[in-house]
Amino acid sequence: MLMKTTLRFAAVSVLLAAVSTLQAGNVTGKVSLKGEAPAEKEITPLAKDPNCGKSYSKPATTRHYLVAADKGLANVFVYVKKGLAGKAFPAPAEKPLMDQKACLYQPYVMGARAGHPVMIKSSDDFMHNVNFAASKAGNDTFNFAQTKAGQVNEKTFKNVEVFAKLQCNVHPWMFGYIGVVDSPYYAVTDASGKYTIAGLADGKYTLAFIHLKAGEVLQEIEVKGGAAVNATLEVK
Amino acid sequence: MAQTTTSKSGAHGVHAAHEAHHDHHELGFMSKYIFSSDHKVIGIQYGVTALIFLLFGFFLVGCMRWQLAYPGRAIPMIGGFLELLLGKDMAAGGIMQGDLYNAFGAMHGTIMVFLAIVPLAFGAFGNFVTPLQIGAPDMAFPRLNMASYHFYFFGGIVMFASFFIPGGAARSGWTSYSPLATTAQFGQAFNGQTAWLIGMVLLITSSLLGAVNFITTIIQLRTKGMSWMRMPFFVWAQFVTAFLLLLAFPPLEAAGILQLMDNVFHTSFFLPTGLVVNGAQLPVSGGGSPLLWQHLFWFLGHPEVYVLILPAMGIVSEVIANNTRKPLWGYKSMVYASICIGFLSFIVWAHHMYLTGMGTKISTFFQTTTMMISIPSVIILTALFISLWGGSIRFNTASLFALAFLPMFGIGGLTGLPLGFNASDIYLHDSYYVIGHFHYVVAPGTIFGLFAGIYFWYPKATGRFLNETLGKIHFWGSLVCMNLVFAPMFIQGFKGMSRRMYDGGATYFLETDPTALKLNIYITHSAIALGVFQLPFIWNFFASLFVGRKVTNDNPWDATTLDWATPTPPPHGNFLREPVVYRGPYEYSVPGAAKDFTPQNQPT
Repeated sequence: MLMKTTLRFAAVSVLLAAVSTLQAGNVTGKVSLKGEAPAEKEITPLAKDPNCGKSYSKPATTRHYLVAADKGLANVFVYVKKGLAGKAFPAPAEKPLMDQKACLYQPYVMGARAGHPVMIKSSDDFMHNVNFAASKAGNDTFNFAQTKAGQVNEKTFKNVEVFAKLQCNVHPWMFGYIGVVDSPYYAVTDASGKYTIAGLADGKYTLAFIHLKAGEVLQEIEVKGGAAVNATLEVK
Repeated sequence: MAQTTTSKSGAHGVHAAHEAHHDHHELGFMSKYIFSSDHKVIGIQYGVTALIFLLFGFFLVGCMRWQLAYPGRAIPMIGGFLELLLGKDMAAGGIMQGDLYNAFGAMHGTIMVFLAIVPLAFGAFGNFVTPLQIGAPDMAFPRLNMASYHFYFFGGIVMFASFFIPGGAARSGWTSYSPLATTAQFGQAFNGQTAWLIGMVLLITSSLLGAVNFITTIIQLRTKGMSWMRMPFFVWAQFVTAFLLLLAFPPLEAAGILQLMDNVFHTSFFLPTGLVVNGAQLPVSGGGSPLLWQHLFWFLGHPEVYVLILPAMGIVSEVIANNTRKPLWGYKSMVYASICIGFLSFIVWAHHMYLTGMGTKISTFFQTTTMMISIPSVIILTALFISLWGGSIRFNTASLFALAFLPMFGIGGLTGLPLGFNASDIYLHDSYYVIGHFHYVVAPGTIFGLFAGIYFWYPKATGRFLNETLGKIHFWGSLVCMNLVFAPMFIQGFKGMSRRMYDGGATYFLETDPTALKLNIYITHSAIALGVFQLPFIWNFFASLFVGRKVTNDNPWDATTLDWATPTPPPHGNFLREPVVYRGPYEYSVPGAAKDFTPQNQPT
């Protein structure tokens, strides 16, 4: 009797698991830029800095609008802004990594989960400081220095903050941005403007597309085993 | 109690008091070692505590030096321990983090000045030796003396404990300049800086109690015949030092309390209007003056330099007179010079502040007074150099340290002149040149003087000699390493290396001038070697208590001053009968005398 009950229970669980898998999907799409992006500027202090400048054969430029030939816009932070209230999510398997390489933050924009650690690394053999002034209550301001390539420090943003802005005061052109959100459903558009948010359960949500220069656009979406959502941001 | 007998009632008075003491019960452990009001025990308490802090201060800078030589590399052995003890924010992966570097830097300065050298020079030697040299049974206010040590001890505990509070110890430099000191951990109600200020208030209170006591003792308790000009130079040095402490510290105590208000209650005594920190305006009313803090701090800070150096000069004078077997050359000039230093030291403080833009007239005034104060310092040093002339010098360890003090302090003093001049200071300010300069004054300067004193008076305090071979290893190792540590800093300073760089200056020198960075590595290795050469001293200091050669004579160095006229070690009440002084303090090699020394209490 007990054996039968256990088997039934197991069968139901497998069925439910299968159904729940079916009920989630990837949200994919592309973000395009409308309008003509202004030309990027050369970062002249970087080129003149004896430590930083040697890493570049041609001068590094700003990364305000990285636009593909077909107007796909990179470095747009995409995340589910509404529709996930009250839900808890498992801890991320990996810690996101923000690197400082050749006197620039790499990546320029990335996402992270509130309450879970982020790795901040330096790949340069000289000093950077990582200065973060919290603008949202609950987040701790920090400012620490790294002096050797390979040095990694972990920091945790306790609360949602889009964007948490990191900056180096030794090299005042260095900025890095982290979209800190409270769910795993976020992504950053790649060089062609494409993004994928994986495993979002079926339902209605508000999706936010936010770019450092072009601002924020919100879209109401409905996920049914996945969704394709494109967005357009305008040059500002 | 015996030590409260302060009248000069003749030999029988003190003797009777001493006997009366022995009529009472033997003191228990607590009253003998913890709550002792005997100046000698308090002196030893000060000495041992200060030596422990000296070692701790050295440990802090040892960690910093590793970071300067090898930025971003885990500190071998110690790094993991620091991470365990202080957390990831301070020493992630055993690597000294910036906040920890700042905290260690601020606390190295604070500990070395306020918890190690001043207590050793003034608290330990002043307490132990001064009453003996003036023929007093104890200090004028023995219980105040005890309270002074206890305030010092608790100040030290507060400072030490501050490493372990959230956010760690104070991290705004030993000078705690506002507004940095207030804003560095703004919003944290009780932070390292708060602890620093509370600790400082305790330490200043301790110094004030000590100063009042020393002044009263030296004025009131000199034995019969001990006129002002028969006082050993050491006592004069302590006397002037006591006045410096008494008059210079109160403004800092007041300033400390005002900064405490700024930190805890968000007043704005030292915070200007519209202060923006990290891109945001600070929520304080403003209207205060950051410059005011600097003035109040340096009003103590510069006399403090002479608080550090005068007692060392006093010790060196005693050791040199004794070991050259000659009177001090120009004793009276030295006394007047030290008094001169005392006065002038109160009107030179703003030479630390040329870069604040005080204005050329004020800068001119302070550079003039600064040049003036070098004159009495040079008089003392010259007198000590000339005292060596024609002497039959005994090269024991105490004497070696005292002799090395002279050129080392000379380098320290002379390298200070370019910093005293407004024009050259503007370039050198805040560079490693400044570090080299004041460390020459304080480390191979004052600390060598203090080591000389330890080797010299150890037999009187313990009844046993320190081992001479270990002493000479300690001396030669320290002399060589001190110079290897501090001399290259002048070069780094000329190259423009900032003293504040957490990466040892790599940000600016890695590509342009790697030699400056290589010097960091040599300096660090020399500092480690310097630490190794302190091991024979530490062993010697403790082991000699038990195995050191016993003193068979109350006056083992054939000295003239009254401190050697007591039994060894001196009992409670010091002298078996009140000594009477018949002559000056340095009657060595007097022509026609039976021996090459004539003690002050030897009747004519």
